[in-house]
Amino acid sequence: MAAQVFSVSEVKQLLDQGAQLLDVLGEDEFEHDHLPGAINIPLKRLEATTAARLDRDRPVLVYCNDFG
Amino acid sequence: MIDYVPGKQAWFEENQPREGKAADEIWIGDVAGSEVPTCSLTERIGDVRGRAAGWDTCVVVDSQGVVLGLLRKKELDADPQTTAEQVMRPGPKTFRPNVTLQELLKSMRDHEIQTNSLVTTGEGRLLGVISRADAEATLAHENAAEGAG
Repeated sequence: MAAQVFSVSEVKQLLDQGAQLLDVLGEDEFEHDHLPGAINIPLKRLEATTAARLDRDRPVLVYCNDFG
Repeated sequence: MIDYVPGKQAWFEENQPREGKAADEIWIGDVAGSEVPTCSLTERIGDVRGRAAGWDTCVVVDSQGVVLGLLRKKELDADPQTTAEQVMRPGPKTFRPNVTLQELLKSMRDHEIQTNSLVTTGEGRLLGVISRADAEATLAHENAAEGAG
């Protein structure tokens, strides 16, 4: 499935509607800074058991550092 | 699953709220000045020099503002007929806006950088510059304010 690309304002709108934020960066980077309310599951540990922390009934917005 | 492709750098570039142990510190994106002179690859040094008067830095950018190179005092003093591309220092070191002032200063001290550091987006678009002197002064002021509080 192709990824959907959203702007900052669209992300804020989705969060207001109940979306969850998933930060897939490493733990150190997450501890340094992250978007408010984000859950951290580093990409290399993202699997069914770790993803169980997420609410399956709400959209998940996943992000990393930048376009790179 | 929705992929927020621009990522957290894009969020911070728009001064959106942040969390984390560095959230309350001063980030260089908060204090970098955006008034730095810029030029294109094809501009002649003689033309750039006037625009950069009073500066020891001019940033060479493309039409999207992406950093391509840097002109320091030595390059700004070069033959006025040469182009920026001919004398620039290509691919200068840049920093993302969520680097803390403390982290930037450590890097500047470790690498003995006395001049301006460039702050860019993850794609390399210029956001501003911060001088070592300004970074030192801002941090000293912040530390003094915390000490007084």
